[in-house]
Amino acid sequence: MREKKVVIEVGDGAAIPDPEDSGLFTAWRISFFGTLAIMAFLVITKPDPYLAILKYLPDGIVITFKVTCASIALALVLGLIAGLGRISKNRFFNLAASTYIEVVRGIPLLVQLFYIYFALGHLVRVPDLVAAIIAMGFCYGAYMGEVFRAGINSIDDGQTEASLSLGFNRSQTMRYVILPQAWRTILPPVGNEFIALLKDTSLVSILAVSDILRRGREFASESFLYFETYTMIALVYLLITLVLSKLLSNMENRLSHYERR
Amino acid sequence: MNAANPIISIQNVNKFFGSFQALADVSLTVEAGQKVVVLGPSGSGKSTLLRTINQLEEVSSGSIVVDGRDLCDPQNDINRIREEVGMVFQSFNLFRHKTVLDNLTLAPIKLKKEPKLQAEKRAMELLDKVGLVDKAASYPVQLSGGQQQRVAIARALAMNPKIMLFDEPTSALDPEMIGEVLEVMVTLAREGMTMVVVTHEMGFAREVADKVVFMDEGRIIEIAAPDHFFDAPENDRTKKFLEQIL
Repeated sequence: MREKKVVIEVGDGAAIPDPEDSGLFTAWRISFFGTLAIMAFLVITKPDPYLAILKYLPDGIVITFKVTCASIALALVLGLIAGLGRISKNRFFNLAASTYIEVVRGIPLLVQLFYIYFALGHLVRVPDLVAAIIAMGFCYGAYMGEVFRAGINSIDDGQTEASLSLGFNRSQTMRYVILPQAWRTILPPVGNEFIALLKDTSLVSILAVSDILRRGREFASESFLYFETYTMIALVYLLITLVLSKLLSNMENRLSHYERR
Repeated sequence: MNAANPIISIQNVNKFFGSFQALADVSLTVEAGQKVVVLGPSGSGKSTLLRTINQLEEVSSGSIVVDGRDLCDPQNDINRIREEVGMVFQSFNLFRHKTVLDNLTLAPIKLKKEPKLQAEKRAMELLDKVGLVDKAASYPVQLSGGQQQRVAIARALAMNPKIMLFDEPTSALDPEMIGEVLEVMVTLAREGMTMVVVTHEMGFAREVADKVVFMDEGRIIEIAAPDHFFDAPENDRTKKFLEQIL
C-alpha cells in the first residue's frame, strides 16, 4: 500500500522521552529526579531563603498555567483556520492565511507581545492578562497553522478520493475523514508547542502579569537574593516541563496503539 | 443493444495533464446493467477515463452524462451524482480511523440521513455478502489486502449505487487473495450491477464482460465483445498487447 510517512519536526519544545529507551537511567529520569533532589536538598538544608522562595511562587504557577491553556486554546482555533487556509484553493483565504503566518513568524515574540499589548491598549481597555493571552495565542496560532497544514497533508490522497467518491463534499471530507486521522499526526507537535508556549509565557512577566517569573522578580527585588531566586525559578520551570513531556509521551503511546496492532 | 438510453455516455473527451494528453477524443457508452472491462498497457489512460466518470478527474473538453445528468453542467451537484456511482480503488482506501462497520455506515448515516440501526443492519448484510461479518469490529490495518478490498466493495455498495467503478481492484493484492475479490465482483455482476472495470485480469474480462475496451496512448483502439476481442482481435496493437500478456 502506498502511504506517506511524514514526521513533523518542531525544533522547539522539550525533548519527548524516547519510548525506545527502556533502561533504568533515561535522560528523562536523570533530569526529573535530579531536579527533585536538588530542590529538596536546597529547601531542607537552606529553608531560608529557598523554602521562602518556593512558597512565594504558587500564585505565579497558577497564572502561568492560565495563560498557557487559554493561549493554546486560541492558538488551536487560529491554527486550524490558518492551516485550512494554507491548503485552501480559495485564493483570498489562502493568501490571508499565508500572510498571517509569514508576518507573525517574521517578528520576535517579545516585540509582538509589546505591540499587541499597546495596540490593544489604544483600542480597548482589556485586562493585562487578556492582552497577554491574545498576543501569545495570535503568535502561536501561526506556528500551529503550519502544524495543522503538515498534519492534513500527511493523510494519503486516497482517503480524500474515497470520501469524495462516496458523495461527501470537501468540507465533510475534512471533518469526517481527514481531521480525525490528522489529529494523531498533529498531537505530538501540538504537545511540543504547548510546552514551548508554557516556557514562552515567561515573557508576559514584562506585561505586568504575575506569572512565575514575575513573582520571582518581585521576591528578588525585595530580598536582593537574585541568584537563589532564579535558581529556584529555573528548577520549577524544568520540573513542570519534564512532567508535561512525560504526560505527552504517554498520551502518544496510547493514541498510536491502533496503528501497530 | 439499446443505444438510445445509455446510463453512461462519454462523448469526445480530451484530458490534459499540463501538456501531456492522457485522453484523446474518447467516446464510450455503457448501458444499464452492462459490464465493461477496460484493458490496456499502463499509462494508456484507462484509469484516467474511469476517474472522469465520477469527476475525480475533470475533463478538459467533451461531455460526460451519467444517468441523464451532464457532469460538466455546474447546475448538477456532483456530490449527488457521486452517491450513485460507487468506486473501488487499487489501494482500497478504507478509512483507517474507523472500524469496518463504521466504514460502511459513515456515508449512509451522514449523507442519506439513515438511522444508525438501519444503516448498521444494511452494513451487516453487505458484510455477509462479501464474507466478512466476523470482521465488523476490526480496524482496516488488522485485515489482509483481500479482506480490505472486499470491505471497500461493501462500503461502496452501502450507498446503493447504480454504477460501480473498479480501478485495478486486484493489482495491489498478493496472488492468493485475488480470487476472493474477483469472486465478489462476479457475484455482483450476476446480480445485474452496471460495472466499469479497469483490470489486468483477463479471465475476469472473458467471463464477465459484455464488452471489452482496449486503450493505448489515451485513445480507445478497439471495442469488442470478449470472445471476439480475445480470439480474433482486429487491431495490430491489440494483437501485440494480447501476445505480451497471454
